[in-house]
Amino acid sequence: MEQELKAHLKKLMASGDVAGIIALKSERGMAKPYLFADASELECLCLTPKYPMASVARLLLDEDGAARFAIVCRGCDERALRELAKRHQVDLDRLVIVGIPCDEEMARECACPEPFPSVVAVGTKLEQWEAEDIGAAYRAMELDEKLAFWKHQLEKCNKCYGCRNACPMCFCKDCELENALWVKHGRLPPEFPIYHMIRAFHLAGKCIACGECQRACPSDIPLMVLNTLLREDMEELFGYVSGTGADAENPLYTKEEMQ
Amino acid sequence: MAETWNPKIVGFLCNWCCYAGADMAGTSRMKYPPNIRIIRVMCSSRINAEMVIKAFQMGADAVFIGGCHPGDCHYVDGNYRTQKRIAVLRRLLEHLGIDPRRLRLEWVSAAEGEKFAQTMDEFAKEVAELGPSPLAALQREVL
Amino acid sequence: MKYDNILTTCPFCGCGCKYYIQVVDGVAKSVLPCKEDPISEGHLCIKGWNAIDFVYSKERLTTPLIKENGAFREATWDEAYGLIASKFKEIKARDGAKAFGFFSSAKTTNEENYLMQKLARGVIVTNNVDHCARLCHASTVAGLAASFGSGAMTNSIPEVEDVDCFLITGSNTTEQHPLIGSRIYKAKEKGAKVILVDPRSIQLASIADIHLRQKPGTDVAWLNGLMHVIIKEGIADEEFIEQRTENYGEFKAEVMKYTPERVEEITGIPKADLIAAARMFANAEAASIIYSMGITQHTTGVDNVKSCANLAMLTGNLGKPSTGVNPLRGQNNVQGACDLGALPNVFPGYQAVTVPENREKFEKAWNMAEHIPESIGLTVVEMLNAAHDGALKCLYIMGENPMISDPDITHVREALDALEFLVVQDLFITETAEHADVILPGTSFLEKDGTFTGTDRRVQRIRKAIEPLGNARPDWEILCDVAKHLGSDQFVYASPKEIQDEVASLTPLYGGVTYERLDKEGYLQWPCPNAEHPGTVFLHNGKFSRGLGHFFPVSYKPPAEEPDKDYPLILTTGRILFHFHTGTMTRCSPKLNKEVPTGYVEIHPSDAEAMGIADGDLVQVSTRRGTIQIPAYVTRKVPEKTVFIPFHFKECAANMLTNPALDPIAKIPEFKVCACKVEALGESS
Repeated sequence: MEQELKAHLKKLMASGDVAGIIALKSERGMAKPYLFADASELECLCLTPKYPMASVARLLLDEDGAARFAIVCRGCDERALRELAKRHQVDLDRLVIVGIPCDEEMARECACPEPFPSVVAVGTKLEQWEAEDIGAAYRAMELDEKLAFWKHQLEKCNKCYGCRNACPMCFCKDCELENALWVKHGRLPPEFPIYHMIRAFHLAGKCIACGECQRACPSDIPLMVLNTLLREDMEELFGYVSGTGADAENPLYTKEEMQ
Repeated sequence: MAETWNPKIVGFLCNWCCYAGADMAGTSRMKYPPNIRIIRVMCSSRINAEMVIKAFQMGADAVFIGGCHPGDCHYVDGNYRTQKRIAVLRRLLEHLGIDPRRLRLEWVSAAEGEKFAQTMDEFAKEVAELGPSPLAALQREVL
Repeated sequence: MKYDNILTTCPFCGCGCKYYIQVVDGVAKSVLPCKEDPISEGHLCIKGWNAIDFVYSKERLTTPLIKENGAFREATWDEAYGLIASKFKEIKARDGAKAFGFFSSAKTTNEENYLMQKLARGVIVTNNVDHCARLCHASTVAGLAASFGSGAMTNSIPEVEDVDCFLITGSNTTEQHPLIGSRIYKAKEKGAKVILVDPRSIQLASIADIHLRQKPGTDVAWLNGLMHVIIKEGIADEEFIEQRTENYGEFKAEVMKYTPERVEEITGIPKADLIAAARMFANAEAASIIYSMGITQHTTGVDNVKSCANLAMLTGNLGKPSTGVNPLRGQNNVQGACDLGALPNVFPGYQAVTVPENREKFEKAWNMAEHIPESIGLTVVEMLNAAHDGALKCLYIMGENPMISDPDITHVREALDALEFLVVQDLFITETAEHADVILPGTSFLEKDGTFTGTDRRVQRIRKAIEPLGNARPDWEILCDVAKHLGSDQFVYASPKEIQDEVASLTPLYGGVTYERLDKEGYLQWPCPNAEHPGTVFLHNGKFSRGLGHFFPVSYKPPAEEPDKDYPLILTTGRILFHFHTGTMTRCSPKLNKEVPTGYVEIHPSDAEAMGIADGDLVQVSTRRGTIQIPAYVTRKVPEKTVFIPFHFKECAANMLTNPALDPIAKIPEFKVCACKVEALGESS
């Protein structure tokens, strides 16, 4: 897939349609997000591990108010870009999405709901795919078990804000997690459970299930459980799945009555 | 301590409907349990998730939110936003292990003093049955 | 537009997390965790995430400053160098090399530390070079070198995940070394037992199987007590003791005096808990001791460290993965600053200055006409004392801030003011720099190349991501320039790579460390003596560095100052998650400073009630050294009769209060225990 993608991107670069390509570059044996501006550099392109590429796109679109970029996107990256576009954080007209699918191993690692973008430019998407139901074990718990579980998990929190920092959907300039009205400053662990509840609630209808928050957590807190349960709730209550097309709006931001 | 425990309910009431309804219950001398601490807000949609969670965090056993009936919102659609927000928040409380019945949303108009008193009566009884909020107990442990 | 990610190493604690700096058109935008870095694995703490903020602070020093008539004026580099050269020459001609002192820096690179000690020893010709390791792990360097032959963390950070039983003492790991703390959680999830010995109820207390809250300053007693129980119950590792160690008999005779009853009396640790902890530790397959300043910053610091070494030897927990004695180094490059000889007694690689062959080797390599003194130089605290007494006239301080970090600040101020000439090289006009005659603007980790050595002996690259701000210059260039202005021709390097090549040629420990290898392999853990050597994951495999491990009999001595009628409480000090050391960097990082904008004194609710103090009240804390006013934080984190103050904050500086009493061997001050009193002021802060 890598060779095929390089060829595809070289063509795209030659077309002159884009100022650069946002993708991963391999340097000293490690991958890093990079803006490829020259075809010769594409030899160093690589595909793994996953990095939050939508956040890179948002940064670069902000830095340059006019340029058009191509971006190598997985399913989660595309969902993130769509959701960001709905909140006016990226201009999709300035991005050429080059979709690549995830293999089964990667898809399983993320418990990804849809491990491929809407249009797969290079590679073949998984034919048969059903994500693991990571909420199942928690739904079966009694209330007091749940509380004890989260108390234990969230007491490990190091208040690094990594879950928020790594999240492609967290773009607010002023974050309520830093508002001392809700969460006392300087306490470790942060007060249970308000810190993590605020974050979970703010992601309702926004989380695109990329798993970056959980991967960024030094304490291995299973944050994706909360996010997945709320994704399910949003679908069940409102029929809304975040990361879908521009015509679907997060019901928490609309003025319509709940059906 | 268990013997003297009385449910603490924080009530966020919208200025135009529910607060006026509570006022009517008061002026009409309707009896309802004294467990609720009322906070008047201009619209129920002013109440965000943080405020509700903070109330629990600070020791509330339950939170009540009162807004206008559908179609009656002074700001046209505020109560619809509240409705959706609270529905999701109730789910989140449940996921964390907090009984969602501790968070209640009702529509009460300015004329419904009786409904307000009745609702308070019911809710206080329900919360009494649920017992003290486990979060309130956890907060006391910390320091 | 140019967008790139530059891989570098974090400038805060000793974990050595590598991460990317996102750079757009020459401007650093943010930190991006590196998912393939073996230490951070894509995780960071709050300091790491915000590590670029201080670099762009408005407070950054970007041009040299010279003090004239009591005020600083901007100067050119040539003026600054000219003044330094003329004053240095004048003082050396008049008072000799012994009138000079050099504070190197655990925040700067290995190459810069090497140059600083080369400047001291090779140009001025004095061994008066030291750095803040004196204030943190001098006891470790001395104690572990005596017991094992090597004064460093025996095992590696990734191994922490597979430990079966931890003894964590005097390390608030989740706050001070978050990426090691997170591995303790991981090990715990896998079934590890956690014994925490700490007077304070720190975050790790919530997962501790046993939490022993000793009276501060009684560590030798409880460590001996643990070993007493282990020997008495016959659960020591006889085979290990027999084959790998010496002097067991004398040691055993000493610890047998520490019955659990006696230990309970000294330390306040209940007898039953001590016995349970001893069994838990000795019976574990792979048991690891993790410690930090709570062990080292005592007048008995070396004794404490030797006791930890004894415990590990007694239970055979050395030379194997996930075991060992693991001092966690507090600064990004405090390990490297020690390794590179920024110490008064050793050249790079712990080659003693007292050994004639070592002196000859360096004199030859540096093409010296003069001879390096055979006696060891002065330590940090001793240099300040010598300045105070007028014997030391000239001090060159690079990237250190003794006006906040050293004990008894009043004394430090007097010492600095007594100097004839003070040069400070820093990123900011620190509290120390205010007393300088010349301030030289150095650069942050983002603006230069070099290497840092993390706590687990891990040498890693930092890479220049942006150009130096304003007229600031990389610290290695400044040191070379100063040496050249003093007439040396031995400081000609095109880049830090060439400095490292010189280090490798003179330092067996780092003999195989090259930039090429670091680029290719990511890191190298010393000892790495040659180009083929893969580096060393854990020390003392099969054989101790000194041959046999040595059991030192250690007896309990009380702290230098204990509570009495006038000063009835124990004051202990330390760091917190959100700030770093003297706050020079973190306090101008908005996200970090917002979390904890000023200091506080932690005080137990029952003590607070007795004194009429409510949470948030401004109180007065006094010791025999000084008095500060500080907000009270009423909390059960501290035990009764003990208060805790983080030392980062100049406006309520803990080190106005601390006791400068020193460990007789390591010369480390007793930051962790002194007697104090707290008084209500009747104001809320």
